[in-house]
Amino acid sequence: MKRLLFLLKKEFRQIIRNPFMLRAIIGVPLLQMLILVPAVTFEIKRLDLAVADNDRSPDSRELISKLTGSLFFRSAAAPLNMADAEAMLFSGDADMVLVIPDDFSEGLAGITTPRLQVLVDAVNATQAMLGWSYLTSIVRDYNREVIMARGAATSAIPGISTSPRYWYNPTLNYKYFMLPGILVILIIAIGLMLAGLNLVKELETGTLEQINVTPVRRWELIVSKVIPFFIFGLLDLALGLGVGWIAFNIPFEGSLLLFFGCSAIFLLAVLGLALFLSTLASNRQQYLFVAFFFTMVFILMSGIFTPTESMPGWAQQFNWVNPVAYLMRINRMVMLKGAGFHDIARDVGMLTVLAIAFITLAIRAYRKRA
Amino acid sequence: MDREMAIEVRDLVKRFGSFTANDRLTFDVYKGEIFGFLGANGAGKTTAMRILCGLSRPTSGRVTVAGIDSGNPEAIKRRIGYMSQRFSLYEDLTVNENLELYGGIYGMTMKEIRQRREELLQRLSFTGYCETLIQALPLGLRQKLAFAVAVFHEPEIVFLDEPTSGVDPVTRRQFWEMIYETASRGMTVFVTTHYMDEAEYCDRITIMSEGRIVALDSPSALREQHGTASVEELFVKIARPKNTNS
Repeated sequence: MKRLLFLLKKEFRQIIRNPFMLRAIIGVPLLQMLILVPAVTFEIKRLDLAVADNDRSPDSRELISKLTGSLFFRSAAAPLNMADAEAMLFSGDADMVLVIPDDFSEGLAGITTPRLQVLVDAVNATQAMLGWSYLTSIVRDYNREVIMARGAATSAIPGISTSPRYWYNPTLNYKYFMLPGILVILIIAIGLMLAGLNLVKELETGTLEQINVTPVRRWELIVSKVIPFFIFGLLDLALGLGVGWIAFNIPFEGSLLLFFGCSAIFLLAVLGLALFLSTLASNRQQYLFVAFFFTMVFILMSGIFTPTESMPGWAQQFNWVNPVAYLMRINRMVMLKGAGFHDIARDVGMLTVLAIAFITLAIRAYRKRA
Repeated sequence: MDREMAIEVRDLVKRFGSFTANDRLTFDVYKGEIFGFLGANGAGKTTAMRILCGLSRPTSGRVTVAGIDSGNPEAIKRRIGYMSQRFSLYEDLTVNENLELYGGIYGMTMKEIRQRREELLQRLSFTGYCETLIQALPLGLRQKLAFAVAVFHEPEIVFLDEPTSGVDPVTRRQFWEMIYETASRGMTVFVTTHYMDEAEYCDRITIMSEGRIVALDSPSALREQHGTASVEELFVKIARPKNTNS
């Protein structure tokens, strides 16, 4: 036990003396929160809409101004003809092309059936679907106005009105959805990268050999590497949460204690995994490659962007051992829904199992032979 | 022999795949002697030393260090000191901090550490550097400090793997004075080197070639046996790998 204190003193001295470490520990959470939270968004805004207006009537102009007046669309240069419109879609100058035929106002006057054509760049399927539904809803509104203006009895066509109440995120602010997830990424960066690299660096520079020839116990060495990064990880989490509060006014419905408790367990799991992987690596390049791979897979499969329920079965199976998936769910539950321990007990339990398993694995895999 | 044994090695074999790094080594090291381990690069010195220190396991054979069988490497590690071929102290810690760390690891209290540190640094005339980061020390001083760390906890046996390689002649001389001084206090010194003049300072030497021991005795006895004027001449005569001989 006393030996562990000496080892810890050494770790803290080294971290505090290393200007890069200090900068990383303070800089990473600030940059990550301020850049990633607003940047990583699926909200579709300002799609480039090109309108080929062959009608050039007051009716067509009114429809166009309704479309471009909304937040969703930005008007692109008007194409001269269909070939031009297609070229704009191809080059990306336009995301959508609306073709208004030359008999559009005649159609509205009841002479023919009014028709519109919409071409959508569907490389990004989500964006195409959302753009399409925004556009049709604006056209529908316009249509209703036309019907009312022409004096057709609206009461004869009763419209069903549904009015949504958005719970847990009433303003549909995408940042509120992303921020709890970005906080998880923050901890994984500290845990997986810094702690693992620290041990491999000792192997590479030879200092580990000198330690290995002493009677130090394996658990003492591993724990001496876990504790400093555990503390810095939690400090970073507090810093990141503070930035979220100040810069994005993130709501926090649940218990802070529960939030930090769960993150602490998660951090132990990540540190255990980092040290386990670093006992397998023989240099820093190897470690970085493997750690990067794990980070990517864990984050992309965790449900940070897309709901895990829509992933294939095997992916959902994989998430049993993915600590990020648990904390992703826990953070959103606690921060946005105000969930208590009772609501997330299963996830907390699984995280605890993973933390114990990974740290045991790290101690077992560590050989005093280097 | 009625002298007490510090290290006993019987038929030690270490193989890496099909390569035999140590081939049936058998030797004893007596308590309190300076035992030199000589050989060309790649002769198997470091491999043997790492086994003696518990950093590596023998493929077969029996090894006893400080009375403990090599099957129990952690118990051996408590009783030995080791100075690696590669400088392996923490360069971002000071001299004092490195000694404190290793003292603590071997179970010394802060009070003991402070006391022994002062004593040791005085003896090595190191006192002006206590608060200096290792990265600011010249190579010669680093090697001395690595030695200091290896003997700081007063082990029964200290293993030195090419402790003077790359060091200037004056520092080498001082280094050997330190080794003598240490041995005179009863510590067994096991040292590898490829400086043949240093071999003359040892009580006994073994010469290894291609994983085998080809000579083992005191330097003077070996010179007499082979009729050579110096250990260097002797080494060139017997330690040259066979395939380059013809």
